[in-house]
Amino acid sequence: MSLIDFFIDPVLRGPTWGTLFMCIASGLIGSVLLLRKKTLLAESLSHAAYPGVILGVSLFALAFPAHEEWAFVSVLAGASFSAFLALKGIEWLMRRKVSPDAALCFILAVFFGAGIVAASSMQSQLPSWHQKTQMLLFGQAATMTGIHVALYGGLALSIALFFLLMYRPLQSVLFDRDFSSLLGLNVKWLERLIFCLLLASLIVGIRSVGVILMSGMIIAPAVAARQFTHHLHRMFFLASFFGALSGLLGNFLSIWGSMYLSTETERMTLPTGPSIVLVGSCFAFLSLLFAPQRGLVSRLFRIGAFRLRRLEENILKYFWKKGTLSRKILHETLHVPMWALFLVLRRLKKQGWIEGAYSLTPDGMKRAASIVRLHRLWELYLTEQLKLETGKVHKTAEEMEHILTPDLEERLTHLLGAPTQDPHQQPIPEKSRFP
Amino acid sequence: MKAWEVEDLHVNYGKKQVLWDVSFSVPPGVMVAIVGPNGAGKSTLLKTALGLVEPLSGKIDLLGQPVKKVKQKIAYVPQRESVDWDFPITALELILMGRYGRLGLLGRLRQADREAALRSLELVGMGDFAHTQIGQLSGGQQQRLFIARALVQGGSLFFLDEPFAGVDLATEKSIVSLLQAQKEEGKTIFSVHHDLPTVEEYFDWVILLNTRLIACGPVKQVFTAENLALTFGKSQELFDEAASLSAKSISGIV
Amino acid sequence: MSPYWGANFFEFFFLFFTRLFHSVWSQPATDEIQIGVLCMTAISCGLIGPFLVLRKMTMFANSLSHTVLLGIAGTIFFFGKETPFDLTHLLVGALLAAFLTALLTEGLIKGFRLQEDASIGLVFTSLFALGIVFVTLFTKDLHLGLESVVGNVDALKLSDFRASTLLALLNLSLITLFYRQFQIGSFDRGLAKTLSSCSSLFHYLLLFLTSVTCIGAFRAIGVILVLAFLVGPYLTARLFFHRLKPLLVASVLLGCLASLLGVAFSRHLLTTFGLPLSTGGLVVCFIGLLYVLSYIVKKIYRSGMLLTKAHD
Repeated sequence: MSLIDFFIDPVLRGPTWGTLFMCIASGLIGSVLLLRKKTLLAESLSHAAYPGVILGVSLFALAFPAHEEWAFVSVLAGASFSAFLALKGIEWLMRRKVSPDAALCFILAVFFGAGIVAASSMQSQLPSWHQKTQMLLFGQAATMTGIHVALYGGLALSIALFFLLMYRPLQSVLFDRDFSSLLGLNVKWLERLIFCLLLASLIVGIRSVGVILMSGMIIAPAVAARQFTHHLHRMFFLASFFGALSGLLGNFLSIWGSMYLSTETERMTLPTGPSIVLVGSCFAFLSLLFAPQRGLVSRLFRIGAFRLRRLEENILKYFWKKGTLSRKILHETLHVPMWALFLVLRRLKKQGWIEGAYSLTPDGMKRAASIVRLHRLWELYLTEQLKLETGKVHKTAEEMEHILTPDLEERLTHLLGAPTQDPHQQPIPEKSRFP
Repeated sequence: MKAWEVEDLHVNYGKKQVLWDVSFSVPPGVMVAIVGPNGAGKSTLLKTALGLVEPLSGKIDLLGQPVKKVKQKIAYVPQRESVDWDFPITALELILMGRYGRLGLLGRLRQADREAALRSLELVGMGDFAHTQIGQLSGGQQQRLFIARALVQGGSLFFLDEPFAGVDLATEKSIVSLLQAQKEEGKTIFSVHHDLPTVEEYFDWVILLNTRLIACGPVKQVFTAENLALTFGKSQELFDEAASLSAKSISGIV
Repeated sequence: MSPYWGANFFEFFFLFFTRLFHSVWSQPATDEIQIGVLCMTAISCGLIGPFLVLRKMTMFANSLSHTVLLGIAGTIFFFGKETPFDLTHLLVGALLAAFLTALLTEGLIKGFRLQEDASIGLVFTSLFALGIVFVTLFTKDLHLGLESVVGNVDALKLSDFRASTLLALLNLSLITLFYRQFQIGSFDRGLAKTLSSCSSLFHYLLLFLTSVTCIGAFRAIGVILVLAFLVGPYLTARLFFHRLKPLLVASVLLGCLASLLGVAFSRHLLTTFGLPLSTGGLVVCFIGLLYVLSYIVKKIYRSGMLLTKAHD
């Protein structure tokens, strides 16, 4: 079975396209919720949709028992209704000084309990229909047909269109709600629309991932996207991208996994919902670790790079003060281990800042002088402008010399009037005009 | 022995440098105001002293020892917003919490504790409200409860974080006289204070803070126009920028 | 054949209270075992639930209640799938789950600087998904996963009653012993930290108790419905009381009341309409109902008071 088969084969393409659309939608909505810090609302509402689904299907089964293929309409209607009730319930509780998380959990649990009761009733009265609703707990993408794909595709498209057309108002409201309403934006209507879209993506999602894991698909792609950018439109795009990828890969994983684990005698199914959520979460965790700017690994790398530069500059400065030095002397005075010195000195030599049995090259001289200049400028700033004692400024200047940017240096020079002497009566090296 | 001694304290919060290279010492038996503009790190200084915030580097000693060893001798009055006033607890129960520190793991509250709590309530003028739920009290009354709790702890160091914020003048005056009475008994009081005109009237010493220490000493010596200009003025824009750059470099945040 | 067979709502209570004085202890009927287990669960949850709500940790408790599935998968892996609900296994699974959840969530919040709601959500959905996959792999049976979510009150046995009683006793003893520490830690963490160096110990103890209770309850009512037991009775009790000790007692009693009503009503529906509904779900519905009723009662009382005051 090749990859293309997943998109074309009549049995496989339903689930593949269906989950794809659903995950795009949930990624987009999830971004909004993440920025609003309301991701757990999705958790509460998805569980609260359950009783509505059961009731909807039961009523449909009693009214139109022959038209099973259209049952999903009742799923949509029921889910929307009970999720809406749940939202009102949460707002009502919060107005009565119940803390938000307690309100979310209470509504979640009570509604879900009602759903369980309704489901058990259905189990005894309408057993064949009951089977269908059970799949909504953990999702069953495998049985999605053309109608589903069309509907969910339509929903996903509407959500994407909304985000495209309403980008500016959305951006404004997400950033500063009060200011936006002052500007004349109809914030209330926008929020109602967003809530409708949330409902839509929840409903689309519970078919493939199930009620219980739905919030995972809302949160994970958005978290992953957030790590890569702080531009809103890029975040939306990335969230839908990660969502789509998770949906596809999760789907593949569950089908391949099931085939791999099934033997001649034992039929094994790796459930789709959990697979998709696992893949999505993996993306989220990987992004948290490795995203170029915000990732943890990137941060650690930057810290390491800063410390290395600091060490190099301190060594260069020491050369500037003392002339020619051996590794041994450096080790004794700066208290840096020999192996580290060996590596750093080799790097400095390779880059052209030092030469021979260690002394500064002309380039090295200039660089060292510029660091000393920063150090002494800062000391002067602290004593003259901030009135610190002369004896106390050396230590903090030792740190600041590695941090001051050329821009700050210029402002300092300007503020202090192009000074030539530091508080300890030592000369401040001039800014070299040539590289 | 100094009541509070700080050496080379650096405190970061993510990419923001909250306290930079702060060093000072304060003798016992004085009432000290901690003064500075918004975001100067005053609350953070308090919290770091009490062990609630981990500093990046530096040393803090209270009564000559690290914080962990003198917990019994400290009383902390936090900002009023930091408390959940809907919590199901009455005024008396709140004050009794001040005694928890002495009881150890399994101890029980005793009659002596309850009486001390009631007396403390009377002292702050809240005797009638012993069984009222705390959310039903006014701002001034809530603040007085906190003071009563601090009194009942029986410590020798008091740390108050903006005790007069949103409090009526009568309450303010009564709290000040209570604190000054404690000072007469040899206790040392540190209070984050934001009302400059009353500093000279209420306090003996002052710590002027704006991310770094501007000055620390008796009010008469240190509370000068020049120092105030340094604390509240704009001359440290460059410094703040550089400090925040430093915080970013150290924590690797871009 | 259960002595409650054919009893309707009111006959149920009559029968229950008469049996309470003799036959219950010698030969408990299934309905009585159900009431027993549910009441014990209500006691455990009623004691720790208030602290969770006050610390605004309910969503984290929701998270824990989901990740215990991974803990259960772990115990199945280590101890085999014959007796996954032995008490020591429960404790081990709970420790695993609580430790992993707390570690990852706090790691995300503090180390990766991810916002709190997203941290909680990401951790529990991924761990729960992992749990489902593992349980399916180890037991080759998706039903365990389903049962873990909704529980199966009707399959409760006497051994379950013993387990839940032990849990209730554990919670009761620890909460009474360390009442002050839990109280102050929930109200003012700053003060708690300045008073004692081991205040964070009690935070983790509460987490552990929550995990154990969730695992213990999962057999009866499943992971999601535990949340109702943790939060519902406290919210109802809070309508009437404003001191912590009465609140704890009231939460426990309300949970037990809902359990009793739920089991009785379940029997009634079976008898009168031949409808076998989920008892666990019914109990949760009663928890919700009790809140609504209490709110209405309080409103009536309040307006009644206003009327009498106006007359004075």
